[in-house]
Amino acid sequence: MKKSLLSILLLSSLLVLGRGRRTAAQDDARIMVNVVLVQLNVAVTDRKGNYISGLKPEDFVITEDKIPEKLATFEEGNEPSSRLVWSASENKMVPQPIASESTPETVKADAPVSPSNPTPTGANVFILFDTSNYMYRGFVFAQDAIADFVRSLEGVSRVAFYSYSRDLSRGVPLTAERSTVLRGVRSTVAGDDAALYNCLLLTVKDAAQFTGRKAIVVFSNGPDNASLVPPEDVAELAQSTGTIIYMISTRDAQAEPISTAVFERMSKATGGKAYFSRSWKDETDAFSSIREDLAHLYSLSYYPQPNPNRGWRAISVKLTGENAQKYRIRTRDGYRVLKPAQIATTANPAASSTEPSTK
Amino acid sequence: MKSFPRRPAFLSTVLLLLLACSRIAEGQNVSPNISQTSSSQRRPSRTTPGGKSISRAADGVVIPGPLRSFLRMAGISQKIAPEDVLPLLARNVFMQGYSHDHPTEFLLLLDRYVQQARELQILAGTGEEIRVEGCSDVGTLIKILGYRIVGNCQTKNLTLATSDPDRAFLTIDSGFPLMTLEESLQKGAPFLYAFPSTRVPVLLHESDWMALNRKHTATGLVDLLLRDTGVARLYWAMSHSDDETNLALARSPGLWKLSTLAPVLDFYGGQISIRSGRVLVPGGRRAEPVWKEMVGASPDDAGEFVLHLLAKDNGWLAAYYDALSRVGGPQQEPLTEPERMKRVYEAFRSPAIEPAATASVFRKAPGLLVLLTRVDWDADGQPHVPGGIAVWKDVLGQGSSSKLVKNWGKRARGWDRSEQLLEAMASLSRLESDTGPLQAYLTLSAIDAKRPAARKLSPETVRLLATNFAQYGSWYLVFSEFPELTDESLTRFLTVADSIGGISNLMLRGNAVGSFQANIGLWQILARQGEIAAGERNESWLKTVGPFAKIDSPVQLFDATRTSLGAVMLASAGKPNASENELIDRMAGPEQRSSEGQHVHEEIADRMHNVLEDQRLVSLDTLFALSDGLSAMAQGNSAPQNMLGLAGELREFEMPRPIFTSSEKITWAPGVYSTHHAELQIKTDLTKVIKGPGTKAQLEAARGQLTPFLRDALVGLNYAYYEPPGAQVLHNNSLFVRSHDFSGLSVTTSERTWLTPELMGVGTPAGGGAYLMGSLSDLPFALASTEQDFIAPENVQALIWKELVPDLLVSATVPRWWSVSRDELHAVTLYLRSGEELLMASENSPELRGQVTQILADRMAPQRLETLDRSLANGEDAIAVLSQTMPADTFFLAAAFRHRYPGRAGSAGPQSQQLDALCAKSPEETSAERLARDFGVPHPVLARTYGPSLLYVKPFPSFGGASSRLFGESWESSNLYWARLADENGLDPAALNRLVPELTRRMTAKIFATDLEDWPALDRAMRETGEDFRAGKVTPLPAAASVTSAQGMSDGRQENALGGAR
Repeated sequence: MKKSLLSILLLSSLLVLGRGRRTAAQDDARIMVNVVLVQLNVAVTDRKGNYISGLKPEDFVITEDKIPEKLATFEEGNEPSSRLVWSASENKMVPQPIASESTPETVKADAPVSPSNPTPTGANVFILFDTSNYMYRGFVFAQDAIADFVRSLEGVSRVAFYSYSRDLSRGVPLTAERSTVLRGVRSTVAGDDAALYNCLLLTVKDAAQFTGRKAIVVFSNGPDNASLVPPEDVAELAQSTGTIIYMISTRDAQAEPISTAVFERMSKATGGKAYFSRSWKDETDAFSSIREDLAHLYSLSYYPQPNPNRGWRAISVKLTGENAQKYRIRTRDGYRVLKPAQIATTANPAASSTEPSTK
Repeated sequence: MKSFPRRPAFLSTVLLLLLACSRIAEGQNVSPNISQTSSSQRRPSRTTPGGKSISRAADGVVIPGPLRSFLRMAGISQKIAPEDVLPLLARNVFMQGYSHDHPTEFLLLLDRYVQQARELQILAGTGEEIRVEGCSDVGTLIKILGYRIVGNCQTKNLTLATSDPDRAFLTIDSGFPLMTLEESLQKGAPFLYAFPSTRVPVLLHESDWMALNRKHTATGLVDLLLRDTGVARLYWAMSHSDDETNLALARSPGLWKLSTLAPVLDFYGGQISIRSGRVLVPGGRRAEPVWKEMVGASPDDAGEFVLHLLAKDNGWLAAYYDALSRVGGPQQEPLTEPERMKRVYEAFRSPAIEPAATASVFRKAPGLLVLLTRVDWDADGQPHVPGGIAVWKDVLGQGSSSKLVKNWGKRARGWDRSEQLLEAMASLSRLESDTGPLQAYLTLSAIDAKRPAARKLSPETVRLLATNFAQYGSWYLVFSEFPELTDESLTRFLTVADSIGGISNLMLRGNAVGSFQANIGLWQILARQGEIAAGERNESWLKTVGPFAKIDSPVQLFDATRTSLGAVMLASAGKPNASENELIDRMAGPEQRSSEGQHVHEEIADRMHNVLEDQRLVSLDTLFALSDGLSAMAQGNSAPQNMLGLAGELREFEMPRPIFTSSEKITWAPGVYSTHHAELQIKTDLTKVIKGPGTKAQLEAARGQLTPFLRDALVGLNYAYYEPPGAQVLHNNSLFVRSHDFSGLSVTTSERTWLTPELMGVGTPAGGGAYLMGSLSDLPFALASTEQDFIAPENVQALIWKELVPDLLVSATVPRWWSVSRDELHAVTLYLRSGEELLMASENSPELRGQVTQILADRMAPQRLETLDRSLANGEDAIAVLSQTMPADTFFLAAAFRHRYPGRAGSAGPQSQQLDALCAKSPEETSAERLARDFGVPHPVLARTYGPSLLYVKPFPSFGGASSRLFGESWESSNLYWARLADENGLDPAALNRLVPELTRRMTAKIFATDLEDWPALDRAMRETGEDFRAGKVTPLPAAASVTSAQGMSDGRQENALGGAR
């Protein structure tokens, strides 16, 4: 079933290859029909921030531009994904597990994951490490922190490791092999200008090629002096592709208000968080929080009802009944209809080595 | 805003030059022999195109620790040949190692690394291997490395964490395999790491250099280079010269005397060639007496000559010598006519010899080299003067803020010979300006050069163009590209441009400028592609330009723009009212017959559609339909049926969802251009006037409101056409086109309406993104500059080469290959192969070798030529010989040989014979001139035109400012090489339109250079890309089947979005 779901996605992408722009000048009676799946990663917590598990599909109400939407798939944490089908006996939509030809167990641990080989459960995590001049002083400590973070994700997710200064370096493509990622971490080189938003944009696009939960964890202390795209465009793209962004910084970053503002707002808009610890040695809480977040997210998806809006579409996710009052929800608040060229990537999925080995 | 601690800039500057390096494969031992780590293992390590050669008798010095680590720390490409290690180390030390006589962070780190490497070397012992059995004996090693153990030995939870950040930084930056060590400790397995020292060749002998160790503080050459920036620069300078010259110079005047002149030797000494004790001066024997007089020493006394040459006039005579030497072949002959050569130099030095020719980080007077390379000669042997000498007397006499120009204006009053203008221009090359009289002269010469003798520019036109050059000069490149345009057309352009400049309303003026320039841009695109026939060009130009002559209102501008566009379409498509899709179809290229050609054409049109979609621009069809409807309503008719739907499209554009508040933007991005133009569009709402009843005036005003949308749609078409490969801003910053600031008044005091565009708003997160400020005149380059940093270098320590990559991308986006036949494509292959055959055949024939090297002397510096000649004389194999040439070299060799020795090339081998046959069959399609036009590259700075061509010049050195583009423009090999790849794979020539941009993008990602003249790095990246292509890693044609499937979908689902999916 997973395969057929993927087929739907690919089929929908083929539609974009038709020529020319359709305009009202050509057809004034337009009906917009989505043929794609909108996926939401939803964190549900109580007022103390504890994650709430065990919720069912019927506990969620989703609207898009105030149009009620029907859930198509449902998944909690690292549980297998389920397709929702109508049960006449129960008179409601019930989950039906989606079988996969490519479960984590069957995927070779060292095989780079490509878009055509999606992982059915567990988040795909892209780490983006700022190696610009701004990080020079804390470079080795930040690297230690990232190594700790990668180790802490053991057995949970697949990880890619990228670094950036003025340009992006795709150090390690998405892989389940932690030691490969760690080698990538330890192979980075420091220096040059910082183009965080340029490189985050490229990373979002790479992440957008994959189905399932996906998150980007940025290790940076902030200032951007070389980007051409503004953070607004990056945030929109992340929202529109359902990519969560987590920002990990130290309090040094808070001395620069622009970065602080962007980190907090952009991560929040995508359903993620920004963390500012005392130092790079002190990121344990942030790692734990992200790990917990990824492990407890509900993944919901729906096929949008006909919607004439070609711009920003607002999404609302609420809980039903008394849960609505008791619990809090964190997820993206909308998306923009994207064209393939906007998420096209030139990434080469081939793995490359990073460190000379010993005998 | 508080400033943050930064790694000093000088360190990053080193990294700026590191473009792409291949990682050494995991599991591969670091080898002491660097050539074994090169990715091109089938090609020998070598010195090439700009190259460095080292005396083969040279001894070597030891680099402590693995060479790869040292190169990383020294900011040197890890793909270089061993003989390049010390020159590049020397280069980086003198360029980046000191600031105000204090060592920079770069040098301190390098020095610390060398110390750390020596400590590790001791640990490695004579076996040159670091060996650790486990936690029990790892203490010393991790202390040196700056790490400590956290957790328990032989368990999974053991990790290595930083204990000494300074040492840890060196460990990481040098690429020590820390993870492998950590894993060994976790497993309790021994850690073995080869830690060899590496011996690399030395220029001359180490003892020669150690004699310069005046303070006796250095223990060896590496130490000396790190400590003495003067020695480092001399070492770097001499690495540009050939062996025989270096040996001669070392004897006389000797390194000691040369060391004081190292900066001059570095900048201007690379062309000095000493053979058998004599300096081979530009102009040969005939020019020797003048050189002797100018220099004050005879070329027969090489040591004295070089010493005096470098010292004379603060290096300016050396600069002149260098420029003349770089001008090859027939062009050098008139320039080295003794009297002329002397007079031109006198003029060149006349402004003053202060500041010195080396008083900058870049070479001075780039205009001199361009002037000498491009000056055109009349039949009487005199330099060509567009419009005649009288005009230029007036032009120079018109007054200028420059004292130098004023002086020449006075001197010009008595002129009566064109020689005098050449002398003035040589002098004015000392002026640091991109819009001065020299640039005007070069541009007008370029225009005149393309015109037939009977239709040269008139004196009046030259006067008009020269007078207005500072303002409109960047647009004259259109005139040099299309010689069909008459003087009247040129004049008309200036008249209309002046008229537009006179529009007092800033907003209307901005829209008029944008619309006018965009339509000219569309005309240029279609004319270049041959879709406006040569015979139609002048008339269609006048009709395109004319409607903008008098603009008083937005409505008038809308109508003028539409009329102008109609003229472009009429000339191209045969009808003035073509739809936007039809226009894009034309822009995508001429109609194709082959199915491959059709698919490629379709894909290119789709790409343009994508840009327009992603910029959320309103289509021309919608705008014109709205205008027509409003006009009909103004005449009393009812609103057409779909008017509200059309008006709704105007409102579909939304600003990105804000992250910053307005006040934050003002505080955090002061001075950045606002999005006023876009914001006004968002407020445009025609529904009220359509629902009516609107008065005639209201309806007309509503039409006027369409004008900014029309401007953006037309500007967007230009942007879409020149989309660089891998573009991101064009697809993800929907304000990019709308933000084009034609005036620049929001950030500058003078309008930049007609000047080349500049990229603004970089690195200003609260500013809404980057945008272009200025005109559309140099749009391909501006877009390439914008998008270059979205190409991700393939490897660690790799950055995009900003001084080169935009030109590389332009050479892939401006030329198109729709009219190329298979015969023509195959001819490129045969020319390249024939050149290779000639080289190899010359190994067996001293006479042929002489002919071959004589031809190549016009393209190769003495050092490179010497190396090649030696390889040929030694009978080295094809791989060794051919690795020293680039495609442009072998193409030039074949073409020039056939020209100089007609009928003799065939004897070189079967490929040359096949070329003979093909040339006989299709003479027009296989001519060198035709191939140069179709497979050349644009040279907007060097040749003052965007028309592609092959200029066959020697690689230009690096300069600063706009002249930095000269280096990139002198790289002409890529398109020839891509053409050969396509031909050898049996592809339709039209496939090049898709393939070349993609291959160029990949090549860019592979470049790993260390210095700004690193042609070998370009050549290497190009060939690596070719290997990828041959290995099937690049899809040569669009997925046609997918298109068919998509078009077959008929389920009524129209929205083609992927938004929110996943």
